[in-house]
Amino acid sequence: MKHLVPLSAAAILLATTAAIAEPGKWTDEPVRIVVTFPPGGTSDLIARILAQYFESEYGQKAVVDNRPGAGGTVAADYVAQQAPDGTTLILGNNAPFTIAPTQFETLPYKPLDGFTHIAYLGASTPALFVQPDSGITTLDEYIEKVKGDGITYGSSGVGSITHILGKAVDIELGIEQIHVPYQGSAPAIQDFRAGVLEAYYDMLAQNRDLITGGETLPIALAAPERSPLFPEIPTFRELGHDIVVENWTGLSGPAGMDPAMVQTIHDTVEAIMDMQPVIDQLAQWGISHTEMTSEEFTTFVGGTIDTWAPLIKAANVNGG
Amino acid sequence: MRDLLLRLRRSEDAARPPHAWLGALGGAALLILAVIFIVGGYELGFGSTRRLGTGAFPVITGFALAVLSLAVIAGDLADKTDLEKPDWISFAAIGGALVVFALTVGRIGLVPGVFLTTITASLPDPALKFPGKVLLGAIVALGCWGLFIEVINLPFKPFMGL
Amino acid sequence: MDIITGFSQGLMVAMQPENLLYCFVGVFLGTFIGVLPGIGSMAAISMLLPLTFYLDPTAAIVMIAGVYYGAEYGGSIASILMNIPGTPSSSITCIDGYPMAREGRAGIALFTSAIASFGGGIIGMVVMAVLAPALATLALNFGPTEYFAVILLGLVAASAVSNGSPVKGVAMVAAGLMLGTVGVDITTGAERFTMGIPEMRDGVHLVIVAMGLFGVGELITSIRANATGAHQNDIDYKKFYPTRAEWKSMFGPIWRGAGIGSFFGALPGTGQTVASAVAYAVEKKVSPNRANFGKGAVEGVAVPESANNSATQTAFIPTLTLGVPGSASMALVIGALMMYGIVPGPRLLVDHADLFWGLVASFLIGNILLLILNIPMIGLWVRLLRIPYKYMYPTIIVLICMGVYSLNNNVFDIWLTLAFGWAGYLMKLFRFEPAPFLIGFVLGPMMEEQLRRAMLLSRGDPTTFLTRPISGTLIVITVLLLAWSIRSALKARRQGRAMPMLSDE
Repeated sequence: MKHLVPLSAAAILLATTAAIAEPGKWTDEPVRIVVTFPPGGTSDLIARILAQYFESEYGQKAVVDNRPGAGGTVAADYVAQQAPDGTTLILGNNAPFTIAPTQFETLPYKPLDGFTHIAYLGASTPALFVQPDSGITTLDEYIEKVKGDGITYGSSGVGSITHILGKAVDIELGIEQIHVPYQGSAPAIQDFRAGVLEAYYDMLAQNRDLITGGETLPIALAAPERSPLFPEIPTFRELGHDIVVENWTGLSGPAGMDPAMVQTIHDTVEAIMDMQPVIDQLAQWGISHTEMTSEEFTTFVGGTIDTWAPLIKAANVNGG
Repeated sequence: MRDLLLRLRRSEDAARPPHAWLGALGGAALLILAVIFIVGGYELGFGSTRRLGTGAFPVITGFALAVLSLAVIAGDLADKTDLEKPDWISFAAIGGALVVFALTVGRIGLVPGVFLTTITASLPDPALKFPGKVLLGAIVALGCWGLFIEVINLPFKPFMGL
Repeated sequence: MDIITGFSQGLMVAMQPENLLYCFVGVFLGTFIGVLPGIGSMAAISMLLPLTFYLDPTAAIVMIAGVYYGAEYGGSIASILMNIPGTPSSSITCIDGYPMAREGRAGIALFTSAIASFGGGIIGMVVMAVLAPALATLALNFGPTEYFAVILLGLVAASAVSNGSPVKGVAMVAAGLMLGTVGVDITTGAERFTMGIPEMRDGVHLVIVAMGLFGVGELITSIRANATGAHQNDIDYKKFYPTRAEWKSMFGPIWRGAGIGSFFGALPGTGQTVASAVAYAVEKKVSPNRANFGKGAVEGVAVPESANNSATQTAFIPTLTLGVPGSASMALVIGALMMYGIVPGPRLLVDHADLFWGLVASFLIGNILLLILNIPMIGLWVRLLRIPYKYMYPTIIVLICMGVYSLNNNVFDIWLTLAFGWAGYLMKLFRFEPAPFLIGFVLGPMMEEQLRRAMLLSRGDPTTFLTRPISGTLIVITVLLLAWSIRSALKARRQGRAMPMLSDE
């Protein structure tokens, strides 16, 4: 399997000496940041932080507009149809831009040409968790258990990033785990702690307390490198399985935005992402930010669609 | 317009209330709905006992509803009482108000949309004269602007294209 | 830390002027926003989230908790005055609250609701403080099988809340369950009965169903009733203080409601809906005044309000210790905690003991503030009913539109409200009750999810529901309740035959 995130190659190819714009306000109108989830999740909170700092630091009034539904496609379709004047932006992620293009046969928008992808915000990485008292401590023991008695694992939903990771593990390791979908990771973890589930996939950072409390045991991380939070957890890659899944977030707008404005928004976002309270906050949520130019971010989005398509098809989440 | 409404209203008032056995129509509607879900559920697939399919739950609940709706039909046919008088004018006007809201709010903006919605909704009540309806519309529209956009900060546009 | 020191320290935290102020702000805003149809605690909390950036975590959580139960109370005001419930549990308050308002006892209904909410809230708070660790483990004893059994119990209770024909009540529950399957099947990702409309992929929002069936349906009925001046003039608006007898009759329902509510509240997701339905159904069986249930019984308002509010309190336990939000508003509470790097989890009660006990104490203060704030307001709310209906109903329909439109900012939801509104009117005409439908509709998707998960985990063995002790017990209780309902329905029918001319007014 190929590296799921062709980040470095794209970065080198496309590293442009982009003109540096002053961070600041880009429109007199209030900006709407459309979020693909209902209020309360990490994605919503990132949007609210951005809106907050746009206004407090740069005088750019901004409101958060939650338009959840249909795997983020409701929000993406809405934004694609708005005027590209910088007043409507979307806090995009893998749901509408990476998964939906393969998951749904017809999509009302074009994930690449239908948008101006402006700035990459960051990504968090998921891991495989098992019961601490199950006797399983390594990925090899896990594989053995799956091949023997079988294992039920929880994901945060059909077509979610953790489901697709589960499928990727099935394919790469040549095993078949029994998938039990939940609505979000919290109920899956509840059933795991109640002893009904034997394993689950979830973002590493959000399980910090359970890990230190000895209530769950992560055995492999789907990141390119080990996590600074828990450096003792090996990655799938160093165990010989090239599985890297990143739960990314970025800011985009409708297609055809003025390049100068895109540059201003990009630089404003980067300036905010460099502020210490924001860095600390994102670190709390296990989100690591790397700087990308708008062009790099566009290539990144396109890359994720291509590399993920076979997995999404394998997970058979298109309801077919 | 107003005369027509009053005349319709009077003829509705004069009509005798409908028989309760008409309630069986409700049961029949439920039965049709149940059959749609049973058929649709079978097409979606029942799955196995271990892995229940997409259609299993619609089929199970559909069968339950089908049986119950037969009981409802039987019960209503035996009912000899009268129902309350229906009010089709208000039925149409309230429906119309929702239609007006749906058609205007995303096109011409919240304030004119609410203005027209209020007027449409107030049409069936002869107690309020037309200038009164317009005034009420204006007050409600401005109130919504202040409350929902300015105070609660919901992301609506008061006027479109302005 | 033991309970007494914990609580007294918490009280010190909550009594700090800053926290007191934010508690008040939360309760106040929550009540006012909760009164607006369809705009519940969700909108109120998201509105205040940016403000919490500047606050210390305890103040923020205290304020958000205040908004949350303030909005719950505001929602019951809308239910009683206008028959517009924002949540399934307030749809049960409508059953007796709205008839009370129509016969001129709106003030007493609001008063009862305030007292019962307060009583339920306080009892729930005590349960939460004393039993927090036990409640946290309770939820961990509930796997998919147990949740399925709880939901089944809730559904049987829901069909028993109806006052018309019991067969119609059960049919409405079944119809709710069935229509709840519309949308993407969360277990396979396949679309069901969406007719290819993308907005239907996530099913129909609960608020749309409630606004349509209750709000719009009721509005169409009452235009004519009010135009003919049927009841508006003979209302004594000053009468809002309950009589001695009414006071006494509230007492039992508050205790029973709170007991049932505290237990179910600890089960995330299903808690409040099941609690209100079960509490009402039980009260309808045991109350000496059971004959008046559905026609404006004080007990019928007290019991769901008390159950709902105690469940609201204990629902904080799974939210804080398991990170499982019981509702969309609870998800926002988790979001607010995450802003401060406080991840809900088993360590929260230990690592953030001051926050936990501050929160518990703020419930006490918040509930008192809510009472102080609302008792004088009752007169004002009741006066709203004095505004001629010709001005009121066009305004209410606009508020319903705004509430629905604010859910997803999508016009499609208005079209759905139209469909459910018309259906609601026809249902009313043909004597079908909306409350059992709404409860079936809310619990249906959860029931299916748990059923399929339980079957998957038991590897296809349906006896798992009976052999697991907790779920087995719950199923036995369900069967008993069902048998009881059938028996009393048959009895009522025999009596009904004896005097057939009772039904028309």
